[in-house]
Amino acid sequence: MLSIEKLGKRRGSRVILADVDLRAEPGKVTAFLGPNGAGKSSTLRILLGLDRPTSGTALVHGRAYRSLRDPLRTVGSMLDGPGAHPSRTARAHLAWIARSNGIPRRRVAEVLEQVGLAAHGRGRVGGFSLGMGRRLGLAAALLGEPEALVLDEPVNGLDAEGVRRLRGLVRAHAADGGTVLLSSHLMGEVAAVADDVVVISGGRVVAAGPLSDVTRGHASLEDAYFALTGYERAEGA
Amino acid sequence: MRPRLPRIVTAELLKLATLPVVLSTGVATIAAAPVLAALSGAAAGTHAFGIVAGTVPFLQVGPILLGVLAAGGEYTGGQVRTTLTAMPRRLPVLAGKSAAALLVLLATGTAAAAAGAVTARSGRAPAFGSVHVAMGIVAHLVAMGLLALALAVLLRSVLRPLAALLTLVFVASPLLGGLTEKAYLLPDQAGRLLHDPLPGTTPGTWTGVVVLLAWLTGVGAAATAAFLVRDA
Amino acid sequence: MTRIRHVVAAELSKLLSLPSTAVAFAAMVLGPVAVTFLNARNAAYTDPAQAVLSAAPIGTVGAIVLGVVAMSGEYRSGPQESGGGRQITSTLTAMPHRAWLLVAKAIVVVLLVAVAAAFAFLLALVCAHHVLGGGEAGGVPARLFGAAAYWAFTALIALAVTVFTRSGILPLIVLIANGSLVSLSYLLFKVAPAARYLPDLAGIRLFADEDHLAMADALDPVTGGLVMGAWTTGLLAVAALVLHRRDA
Repeated sequence: MLSIEKLGKRRGSRVILADVDLRAEPGKVTAFLGPNGAGKSSTLRILLGLDRPTSGTALVHGRAYRSLRDPLRTVGSMLDGPGAHPSRTARAHLAWIARSNGIPRRRVAEVLEQVGLAAHGRGRVGGFSLGMGRRLGLAAALLGEPEALVLDEPVNGLDAEGVRRLRGLVRAHAADGGTVLLSSHLMGEVAAVADDVVVISGGRVVAAGPLSDVTRGHASLEDAYFALTGYERAEGA
Repeated sequence: MRPRLPRIVTAELLKLATLPVVLSTGVATIAAAPVLAALSGAAAGTHAFGIVAGTVPFLQVGPILLGVLAAGGEYTGGQVRTTLTAMPRRLPVLAGKSAAALLVLLATGTAAAAAGAVTARSGRAPAFGSVHVAMGIVAHLVAMGLLALALAVLLRSVLRPLAALLTLVFVASPLLGGLTEKAYLLPDQAGRLLHDPLPGTTPGTWTGVVVLLAWLTGVGAAATAAFLVRDA
Repeated sequence: MTRIRHVVAAELSKLLSLPSTAVAFAAMVLGPVAVTFLNARNAAYTDPAQAVLSAAPIGTVGAIVLGVVAMSGEYRSGPQESGGGRQITSTLTAMPHRAWLLVAKAIVVVLLVAVAAAFAFLLALVCAHHVLGGGEAGGVPARLFGAAAYWAFTALIALAVTVFTRSGILPLIVLIANGSLVSLSYLLFKVAPAARYLPDLAGIRLFADEDHLAMADALDPVTGGLVMGAWTTGLLAVAALVLHRRDA
């Protein structure tokens, strides 16, 4: 379970996040929705111990990420692509990650299979297409068989098969009792996959709750989103 | 929370071993040592290790590049994020990375010094020479490599610390060496004192050790502070 | 071909907007000035012009950095969140005639080196005169041009090599280790005299006076300049070919 309370971050005079509250419960897929620059990535980076907040807390099972013993066995994450050095092979990249958290070597082959990259294990990351790079990032997130998955815009760059595979993976993970927090700005995907939704705009949470609650009173999630984030109603599709 | 240092060190060693340019640099350094020893213009009768000591100004490029790659490589492809989500406590990460680099530098430095010495010995050197000189050579190489690592952590890049250290070693140091007696305060000149001290009243080996440690501590402390505090 | 004007302007704008360019420029200007000052203060030279010329090798590093970053930036992977693209894609879609692209980069690099050299030597001369007083050796302006030419050739060689390697690491190492006071080529020269035809040794008389040179039997300034120029042109030509044929 992931809990974020009254999270705030300023950079100089710029307010990036203000008073953000968010809970991602086990057994559910929580979607984090918002326009570009709303603070989704900033929130996730703080949750994963990469950046420091100015105020508030972001906890994984009640503890800070940095205090977790083998964090990848508790939280698997993917931010902006694979985060791999382009000169390394996919297997080598996963190998050092596995070693760092005491994850058995066999998991490398298993996750490559799971994301459909088994044939590209010995390929250089630098030669991967956008979609392949993302799949590698997903593989890394799954390495430690974590209870929670934190995915930043996971569908970006995936082809139709990849999207479907991801959707299945995410739903299965939640169905098995795991926690999933994913950020996105694709309405269709969120509507198809999410149980709970948190909408953020301008660094502040503007709506949170089950999907049905957030869309109540609006024709669709897309309409609800635009209404909540203060955009003009889109005319037509 | 007790850090899993052995695991971190192994992960960092794996990273170094699977980066092609790191392997090439190591091999090239070890291969360059005999060539440099053969080209060396050392006086007749110099011992083998003495000849190798003369080649250190050029040989240290290898360790410098290794150090820069060990840390600077994190900032290619955004790998630093992956490293910090896998190993979120930063001090152990830095310590583990430095330890892994130290092992690689020791191995490369020793192999290079040995290769150079064997070549020199089979050439015109009458004897191998003192073990102290050999240790001084390896210490110099390792120290420059660690200094490069610290600078790369500080600058978060590969090319910048590389250009800076190459300028120090090939331009600033020879220049200042000719202009002032205090040039031994520069790290590579201090390193020279470890294996090639000038005779007479000039500073000796232990001065070199102190100066080198001071540089490593200073730049290392700045790098550590930056790494601990900065956003990824 | 008026389009070359646009490409040159674009490349100039690109290079000037890189932070490393400012560093390279500072190195090319401040380096020689500082060294001239130190040399003059230490009375290593009595003639101001000579003091300035002895400082010329320092600026070579700045010239190398300039030549390298003019090309290496094209191949750096962008941030992952922005798609991880490389600048070379934009550059080549904007300017598909690759040989002309290289020409434009070369022009820009030479331009910046020339400006830096002008500043550097002017300031250094003023500084040296201030410390040492008058004194005029014949042929000095010619040798200042020679030094600037040495810098320009070196920067262009750096540019060409970076095209081959697509990374700044190797050119930085090879050129900085060779172009200055502790030269690997010089070691080679002592073993094989033919090494004086290597670019950095060939051009050494462009700025260094015979009496102040450790290297005996170096090529005279004119021959040396031509040899270095030939190396530069040759490497650039091969670079143009490589750029033309290689996938982006």
